[in-house]
Amino acid sequence: MRQTYGKQLPGMRLTDLPGKLIVIEGTDGAGRSTQINLLKPWLEELGHAVLDTGMTRSRLAGDGIRRAKERNNLGRVTQSLFYATDFIDRFEKEIVPALRAGFIVLTDRYIYSLMARAIVRGMDANWIRSIYNVALRPDAVFYLRIGIEQLLPRVVFSRGFDYWESGMDLFPGQDIYEGFCNYQAALLAEFDRLAEEYKFEIVDASADAETVCTHLKRKVLEIIEPVHVEAPEAKLLGAFAESLAEKIFANLSSGNGAPEHRAAQSFPTAPPAAQVPLLRRNGSAGERK
Amino acid sequence: MGISSSIHIGPYEIFYPLTPSISSVQQYGQHNLPGRLFVVEGIDGSGKSTQLSLLHKWLEARGYGVVFSEWNSSPLVKDTTKLGKKKKLLTPATFSLVHATDFADRTEHSILPFLKAGAIVLCDRYIYTAFARDVARGMDGDWVRDLYAFAVKPAAAFYFRVPLETAIGRLVGARDGFKYYEAGLDLGLTLDAEDSFRLFQGRILEEYEKMIPEFGLTVIDATMPVEAQQAQVRRIAQSHLANAKELRVHP
Repeated sequence: MRQTYGKQLPGMRLTDLPGKLIVIEGTDGAGRSTQINLLKPWLEELGHAVLDTGMTRSRLAGDGIRRAKERNNLGRVTQSLFYATDFIDRFEKEIVPALRAGFIVLTDRYIYSLMARAIVRGMDANWIRSIYNVALRPDAVFYLRIGIEQLLPRVVFSRGFDYWESGMDLFPGQDIYEGFCNYQAALLAEFDRLAEEYKFEIVDASADAETVCTHLKRKVLEIIEPVHVEAPEAKLLGAFAESLAEKIFANLSSGNGAPEHRAAQSFPTAPPAAQVPLLRRNGSAGERK
Repeated sequence: MGISSSIHIGPYEIFYPLTPSISSVQQYGQHNLPGRLFVVEGIDGSGKSTQLSLLHKWLEARGYGVVFSEWNSSPLVKDTTKLGKKKKLLTPATFSLVHATDFADRTEHSILPFLKAGAIVLCDRYIYTAFARDVARGMDGDWVRDLYAFAVKPAAAFYFRVPLETAIGRLVGARDGFKYYEAGLDLGLTLDAEDSFRLFQGRILEEYEKMIPEFGLTVIDATMPVEAQQAQVRRIAQSHLANAKELRVHP
């Protein structure tokens, strides 16, 4: 059974959510979408159904947020709640249904970015946490961490400075470069705090995309195909295989007639499936129920 | 990891924590503002809007600067709410959030700045509407109360208490039928709009009753004649205006 960070939304069942919820977090320009664009086809090739989702992509509030941001009169509390509306719409209408259908959900940012952005804008940390305490705890959070020094050239020489990424709503009248540095540093500090609190898996995002991706793939595999875990059921299966091999060996070396018949009698019977959950390629056996 | 988490970037020092205009969300905004906030609450058909507009005229006639803000009217959020309602996209949670977003925009643009300027702000429906409706839709009461923690505490919140049948009697024929979300049809309680309205608004009335002691709502008996209710409302409003600055809009 899955868990939330506290409260449960009405009508939300936490059982039968066999999919995997994998979060890619990081500040602007850390390479989150690049990594998701690499991970998604790779997972699909392995045979997994994948849902990728991200901020402001909800049917309900996506366009509303974009329009509100164009007008530049979006207040800080309003902004925080508009993003919460967008998140909960995607959470209820996309993320949870996909998990129920056994999908791997790759989400570009989750509640942590939303909390960090709100906190940096002066919102009370407990207030913003209380709103997002209805969210599911994910299976993993990969935090693509990058310092401002490495981030600056990436952003500036590719897409230039963005009003919101530079926190210009917070620093009106400031030079956009100063705004960018101030805002991103504040975000980074908040992310580091959240990383500790929510036990993010920190990934050094200053490396090239391929290196980061190789690292992420290995980590993702550990979550979705835990074949080499030292789970009790794995040991049980191992013991079963061992005793099977012993019997075969004994039968072969005894050299008596009608080996098939004898074998059928003397082989240990397999434990019932209910006792030994089989190792699945799509998800860990332990979390199915 | 080889990543420095220094707070100095080149010659620039980061000022963190930041100091925004609303420094932090306060529990129901215990702001000490020169203006006064009056709000009216009650189910549809309770007559609260009529009473508020009479109060509005009276205050204006006395020379106060009066600003009116209606539930669910933010120009920034209205398209989103409209889309959600029209396409029936809203769940109890997103219904709650989209209204909180609307309320936040009005707080930041239409309520707080005017209270800071010393005006009288009148709100037709306030956070109590959200608490009643969202809890009637199945949301957790504490979660919704936390959501609205940034709201300014009103000087007085008038609750127009009316029996359900009286309200329905006033509504039938007074406007074109019962609306989908107002009648709680999204909850699938029953297919008949009037029955659904009765069930849903009945739940809402129960929530209002609980909030009277919780938030100290001022109960007005909405079955009394309009004039008698208004006299009561004015008397109470008056008692909160003793030290209010009188901003004359049209000197």
